[in-house]
Amino acid sequence: MSLTLMGILGIFLLLLILFVFGIPVGFAMGLVGFVGFCVVISLDAGCNMLATVTWDTFSKYGLTVIPLFIFMGQVAFYSGVNEKLYTAAYTWVGHIRGGIAMATILACSAFAAICGSNAATAATMTTVALPQMNKYNYEPMLSTGAIACGSTLGVVIPPSVVLIIIGLSTEQSIAKLFYGGLGAGILLASLLTMTVYVLCTLHPSWGPVGKKTSFKEKILSLAGAVEMLILFLVVMMGLYFGLFTPTEAGAIGSFFAVVIALVQRSLSWEEFKRSVFDTLRISCMVIVIITGAMVFGRFLAITRIPFDIADWVVTLPFSKVTVMGIIFMIYIIGGAVMDALALLLITIPIFFPVAMELGYDPIWFGVTITIVTTLGAVTPPVGATTYVVGGMAKNVPLERVFKGVACFLPAYILCILLMMLFPKVVLFLPNLL
Amino acid sequence: MAFLVKLNIILNKVLTVTGGVFLLGMILLTCANIFIRQFSIPIRGTFELMGYAGAVVTAFALGYTQLTRGHICVDVLVNTYPIPLKRFISLVNHWVCAGFFFIAAWQVVKKAMILKNAGELSETLRIIYYPFTLAVALGCLVLALALLTDGLTLIFPQKAGAK
Repeated sequence: MSLTLMGILGIFLLLLILFVFGIPVGFAMGLVGFVGFCVVISLDAGCNMLATVTWDTFSKYGLTVIPLFIFMGQVAFYSGVNEKLYTAAYTWVGHIRGGIAMATILACSAFAAICGSNAATAATMTTVALPQMNKYNYEPMLSTGAIACGSTLGVVIPPSVVLIIIGLSTEQSIAKLFYGGLGAGILLASLLTMTVYVLCTLHPSWGPVGKKTSFKEKILSLAGAVEMLILFLVVMMGLYFGLFTPTEAGAIGSFFAVVIALVQRSLSWEEFKRSVFDTLRISCMVIVIITGAMVFGRFLAITRIPFDIADWVVTLPFSKVTVMGIIFMIYIIGGAVMDALALLLITIPIFFPVAMELGYDPIWFGVTITIVTTLGAVTPPVGATTYVVGGMAKNVPLERVFKGVACFLPAYILCILLMMLFPKVVLFLPNLL
Repeated sequence: MAFLVKLNIILNKVLTVTGGVFLLGMILLTCANIFIRQFSIPIRGTFELMGYAGAVVTAFALGYTQLTRGHICVDVLVNTYPIPLKRFISLVNHWVCAGFFFIAAWQVVKKAMILKNAGELSETLRIIYYPFTLAVALGCLVLALALLTDGLTLIFPQKAGAK
């Protein structure tokens, strides 16, 4: 049996045990990669590779950035920063038609700048923003759709675990990916906000006007929220000016997030412990997937499948835009049925060489596929973020939540098209580094 | 059975707390390094220590993540299966994965023993680092035990209220 065929069989076996047997993604990739390596080379080589990859991945300095940024987000989450951010955004734009939905998206963007988790943002924003929108008789489709889609900004706006992992697995600068993600995230947040405006112009009853606030109230509302945003700026500026590495930025961010929470007396001992344990659980889940992907990647590398596919795609009689369009379709479909992080780790070894062979910028590719896969977080059948919102918004049927999300999908499509037409949107800031 | 469940809980509690301490240590070490290097030379070996501590943080959380069902799986299809089939598949999954992590733990122990026997030292601090490798093996072993126990619980369900 040829090596290429073995590689294809390995990919099919992985998909089979992932979907038919429901084995956790990291375990499945590790298992198939290990068995494949043993079959292609030898049992001894397979065992050796398993031990080496496990130790090397677990002890890799670059990966220590993951628990640090996750901890920063967890501290922000448990200390209730998002509630303060929402109040600030609501005070500033709540009096505009659809303003509370816009405030929700703005608060999601701001919280994404600290947190980086879709589910955490969705859960708290549903608790904080939905009762306000219900109070002002907002159409439930608009309110739930805005929360679900706004929450997806968590993986695009830095610091984002997804961008960190793309950086590590493609050997690209994490700082450059962060700045690329910032441009793309601002674009997507603007388009989502504009969608609210358009929907409320077409259906004025969907987003009634909220109460007007004085300038003094606007300024006062920033107290408690602005400290964490300053922390975000410190972290990003430190990376920008090369004052510290991403890992150091994560440590500084975590340390000062705790200090700010303690000064504000917004983090109890119990919440602190929960933020530590949640950090351990989430980081472990992420690093197990990375380790599994590394083992699977070793197997793919010896079968030469990624390079064969890259060579084959280049010979196809299609333009490079068409090929990229096909890749994006695969990511959209894949993102709809499985977790974005797992999907990226499985597919990056295959599609990254293809994108490079086609001449695309690696930073642009990393950021764009992040946006494309975030679509999966709100679309059925997986759509984890939508389920979180649907599960918490007790009086709104799930299909109404999905309909609300559908209203925002053109914003994602437009964002991806703009990024394809004007790569500078993503590359302007990274190119300054 | 009850003994295995209890052992799992205690082991994972100890490891998780240790992992948490290491996580906080990593934050403090990095911040101290950034601060100190503004005035004098950086703390030697920070890079190495962070890697080793990171290994402990992740490895010691492996079992806890399994106990809290933290590992991501694609259950779109599996959720549509009838309950007996679902239980059977879950049992096979748990035991196959337990076997895989037993192998991983065993191989990492072998690697640690090679490092020990070769007298391997870290590059900057010149310290032995095989104990950290053993910590990773311990994490894999505890995960295997958690998976094995979860599989056994499917055959011998714990009575409600049992400790």
